[in-house]
Amino acid sequence: MSKNTVIFGAELSRRGFLQTGGALVAGFGLLQADSAVAATSNNSLNAGLPESWVEIHADNTVLIRTGKCDFGQSSVYTAYRQIVADELDVTFEMITTVVPGDTDTTPDGSGTFDLLGRGVGNLKKAAAYTRQALLELASQRLGVAKDQLSVKAGVVSGAGKSITYGELVKDQNLKLTIPVTGDLTSMFGLVVSGNPPMKPVSEYQYVGKSFKNSIIPAKVTAKEVWVTDVKVPGMLHARMIHPATLGSKLISPGAVDKKRFPNSQVVVKGNLVGVVAPTEWEAIQASRQVAVATKWTEWKGLPGNGNLFRYFRQDADWKSAPVSRSPKSGGNAATAMAAAPKKHSATYEMPYMKHAPLGPTMAMADVKADGTVTVHTHNQNPQALRGQIAMMLGVSTDKVIVKTYSGPGHYGRSNGGNAGAEDEAVLLSKELGKPVRVQWMRAEDFQWSTQSAAGYSDVKIGLDANGKISAYEVDHHMPAMQDDRPIGAVLAGLPTMDAPSDKGARLNSTVNGNADAWVYDGVLNLEERAHGTFQVGQRESPIAVGLRDHSMRTPGQFQQNFPREVAISEAAALAGADPIQFRIDHAKEERVIALLQRLRDESGWETRKSPHAKAMATGTAPVRGQGVSLMFRSGSYWACACELAVTPSSGAVKVEKITMVVDPGIVVNPLQLKRQVEGGIIMGISHALYEEMTFDESGITNKDWLSYPILKMSEMPEIKVVMIHRPDVGNYGQGSEAANALAAPAIAAAIFDATGKPARRLPFKPANVKELLKA
Amino acid sequence: MLTITVNGKKRDVQGPADTPLLYVLRNELEITSPQFGCGLAQCGACSVLLDGKEVRACITPASAAVGKEVTTLEGLPARWAKQQNLPAAEAEKTLHPVQQAWIEEQTPLCGFCQSGMMIKATELLEKTPHPSDPEIKAAFTTSGPSAHLCRCGSYYAIVEAVRFASTLMAKGGSK
Repeated sequence: MSKNTVIFGAELSRRGFLQTGGALVAGFGLLQADSAVAATSNNSLNAGLPESWVEIHADNTVLIRTGKCDFGQSSVYTAYRQIVADELDVTFEMITTVVPGDTDTTPDGSGTFDLLGRGVGNLKKAAAYTRQALLELASQRLGVAKDQLSVKAGVVSGAGKSITYGELVKDQNLKLTIPVTGDLTSMFGLVVSGNPPMKPVSEYQYVGKSFKNSIIPAKVTAKEVWVTDVKVPGMLHARMIHPATLGSKLISPGAVDKKRFPNSQVVVKGNLVGVVAPTEWEAIQASRQVAVATKWTEWKGLPGNGNLFRYFRQDADWKSAPVSRSPKSGGNAATAMAAAPKKHSATYEMPYMKHAPLGPTMAMADVKADGTVTVHTHNQNPQALRGQIAMMLGVSTDKVIVKTYSGPGHYGRSNGGNAGAEDEAVLLSKELGKPVRVQWMRAEDFQWSTQSAAGYSDVKIGLDANGKISAYEVDHHMPAMQDDRPIGAVLAGLPTMDAPSDKGARLNSTVNGNADAWVYDGVLNLEERAHGTFQVGQRESPIAVGLRDHSMRTPGQFQQNFPREVAISEAAALAGADPIQFRIDHAKEERVIALLQRLRDESGWETRKSPHAKAMATGTAPVRGQGVSLMFRSGSYWACACELAVTPSSGAVKVEKITMVVDPGIVVNPLQLKRQVEGGIIMGISHALYEEMTFDESGITNKDWLSYPILKMSEMPEIKVVMIHRPDVGNYGQGSEAANALAAPAIAAAIFDATGKPARRLPFKPANVKELLKA
Repeated sequence: MLTITVNGKKRDVQGPADTPLLYVLRNELEITSPQFGCGLAQCGACSVLLDGKEVRACITPASAAVGKEVTTLEGLPARWAKQQNLPAAEAEKTLHPVQQAWIEEQTPLCGFCQSGMMIKATELLEKTPHPSDPEIKAAFTTSGPSAHLCRCGSYYAIVEAVRFASTLMAKGGSK
C-alpha cells in the first residue's frame, strides 16, 4: 500500500505495525487547543484516540462512537447500529460496542435530537467511507480489483478469494481521515462532509428489523450506572438555595446552625447560594434551615398566568423582532378572505408547559487545582455544555471534560447543553476545591428550570361557495423559545451566551420562525406570519432571569400546529364537511392523502360532518366525539384520530382511544418506533388534559406532582399505532417528538365534535372545559 | 446505629435513625436502584418492598425498616429463587419474571421510573397472579401512596409487561 490513499475524499494511511491487535479507525484529527472549529483540511486521526466514529478491530468486531446520548429513544443502541451495519456490511451483532456522549471519548458533538436525521448522518457517512477503505485494503491484499469485490457480514470476497475485515486490519495501525465541517461545541457539532458511495435502500438487511435495545437489561437488573449513582472520594453533597423570586437579589445569606449541622457550610457567589455537607441528608436539612434565614430582595415583574394572554396582546413587544413569513405563503390571502362568503376567525392559546423530567436535575463536578474540570451529568448536548462551562470559567475547552450517564428523560430541556445543576456543581466545586454533587429538589426543578414557551395564534379562514378554503391567514405569537444560559452562571454573574434578544443569533434570537410545515397544498392563498418577542420578565428581572424558555419536543411547531389543526377542523365544520375528507380535499401530496385514508380505515372513524348530531354542552350524561390532527416533521407524516367522552356538568374529559398513523419513510426498527409512539401519545394526552405552568407576579408556582399533575396509568386510553413503511422515501423514521404533538389538537377537535363548543385553549382541565361549554 | 435487613442480608446503618431509607440505601449501602424522583411520595421512583408491601423510601425513615425485610430491584432475583426453591446454581443465573418481561417487552424508555414500576408489579403479582387490565392499572394508579408516574409514557408497555410476567410466573419463570 502506498503511504496514503485518497478514497472519495477521505485519506487512508498506515501509521505502522503493531505486535498485537490492530485496527482501522475512521475519524478526524485532534482539534487545536482552544479552538473548537474543525477544518476540512489538516485533519489527521490518531488511532485509538476518541476522534473516531468507527473502529474495525482485529477480532472482527466493530466499535462506534457518537456524541449523542440515549434519553429513552434507544436509537444509539439500536437504529444507529442497524444503519452502520448496513452501510458497513457487517452484522448487527459484530458492532459490540457503542460509545455515546462523553466529550473525551466521542467525536462529533451536537445534541440528542433529530437522532435519525442529522444525528445519524455522521456515523452513516463514516461507515460508508470505512467500507470503501476496507475494500481498498482487500483489493491490495487479495490482488483483486475493487469492482470485483463484494462484502457480506464483514467478509470481503472476489475471484474465489475472501478475507474478513478483522484480518485486513490485523497487526496494523490504520487510520482513515474523514473530512468534516462545523463547530464541535456548537448546538449542531461537527458534520462529516463529502459523498462516499452509500448503499441503496433496497439492499438494507438490518434496517427495518426489530432489534432489542442493548441497554435495557442493565437498567432492568440494576447494573446500569445512572448519573445519580456517580460518586468519587471526598465528594460533598450540595443543595441550592435559589432566589426567592425570579428577580430577587441576595441581601444576606443565612448562617448554618452549627449545633445541628456541624459539618455543613454555605457557599455564596453573587446571587448563587448553596449549602454543602458530607452527607446528603445533612445537606438537605441544613439547606432548609439556611434557606429560611437567607434574605432576598422582593420582585414582582411577571403578569401572572391568569393575565398572560392579555399581557401578550397588550403589553409585549412584538415589533423589535422581524416577522417571519412561511415559505409557502403566497397568492393573495387578504383579497380572497374579503371575498369569502363564509369565514372562520378565532384565537388559540397554548400555556407554558414544563419538561418535568421524573428526576430533578443533578450533576457532579470535580474542579482540580490545575484548573481541569470534569462534569458528570445526564445531558443531551455534552459538547455544548463543555463550551458553556469553559466560557463561564474563562478557560479553554480542553480544560473541560463532560461525562454522561443514563438519567431521567429531558424531552429537549438539555439539548442546548444544560439542564440546571451542571454549572452550579462546577462553581461550588471550584470554590471548595472538592468534588460536589448538586441535586435539585422537586420544587426547584419546576421553579428554576426552563419551560416550553407559551403562545397564541390568530387564525382566519375563508371558505368559497363550494366550501373549500379560499384563504388562510395566521399570526403566530411566541416569546423566544430557547435560552441556553446556564442558570448558575447567570446567578453568579459570570459569562454566558447572551440572553435571547432581537440582536441574537439563531439560538438566542427573539425571532419566531415558521416551524410547522404547511401540508394543505390545495390552498392557493396562504399567509402565515410568526411574531416573536422577549421572554416574559427577562428584561424586567434585575438578575435577567424571568420565565426562561427552552425547546421541548416539536419546539415551536406544537405552538403553531395546535392552532392550525384545530382551526382546520372548525373550518370543516363551517363547510359541513367530514374533517378527514376536508383535509384530503385540500392536500396534494400523495403521502398525506394515503396517510389520512389509512387513518380513516384503521381508527374506526365515522365519516360525517362535525359536530356530532347529538352534540351537547350541558347535562350529566357523557357525550362522545371524534377528532383528527396532522403534522409533517423531519420527513415524516403523522396523523391522529381521537375518540373521547365529555361529561358537560363536570367538564371531565375521558380520552377513550387514540389511533396514530405514521409514514416516516423507512421504519428503521418497528418495535422501538412503536414504543416511542406509544410514549409520545401518552405524554401528548397529558399535555392536552393537564399541563400548564402556573406563575404569579414573582415566579413559578407549580412545585410538585400535585400542582403539576401528569397523566396516570388508569387514564390511558386504548392505543393503536400504525406504521407505514415507505422505503422509497429514503427518510429514516423518527421517534416520539411528533407523537407528542398530535394528541392535543385531535382532543380539542373531539371536544368540539362532542359538545358543539370550540376548544381553543389548553389544557382541557375540567374547570377550563366547563368554562368553554358556557360560551 | 441501626441494623436493617436488605435483600436477605443484615446491614448496619451509621447515619441518624430519621434518615430516609432512600439515602441510606443509595449512599451508605450502595443499593442504587431506588431513585430520587420527588422526595414527597408522589411518583414511586424510590419504591421498595417492606415485608412485601410497596413503600416509598424517600419518606420512610430508616428506623421504620428495623425488624422488617427490605427488598429492592437488586433483590428480586433472589426473592424469586427463594419462592421457587431454586437450587443455588440456578438461582444465581435467574432473573425475576418481572425483569424478564420488562426486557422481553422492551418496556423502559428513559427507565428512571422503572425500578419502582417493577417493585409495584412484583407486589401486585405476588398477591394477584393473574390480574385483569383494570387491576393492573389500578395497582399502578390508586393502590399506593400515589400513582406511579412515568413521564416518557411507558404505561402501555408496562401493562403488556405485567401481563407477560404473569404468564411467566405461572410457568415458574422462563427456563
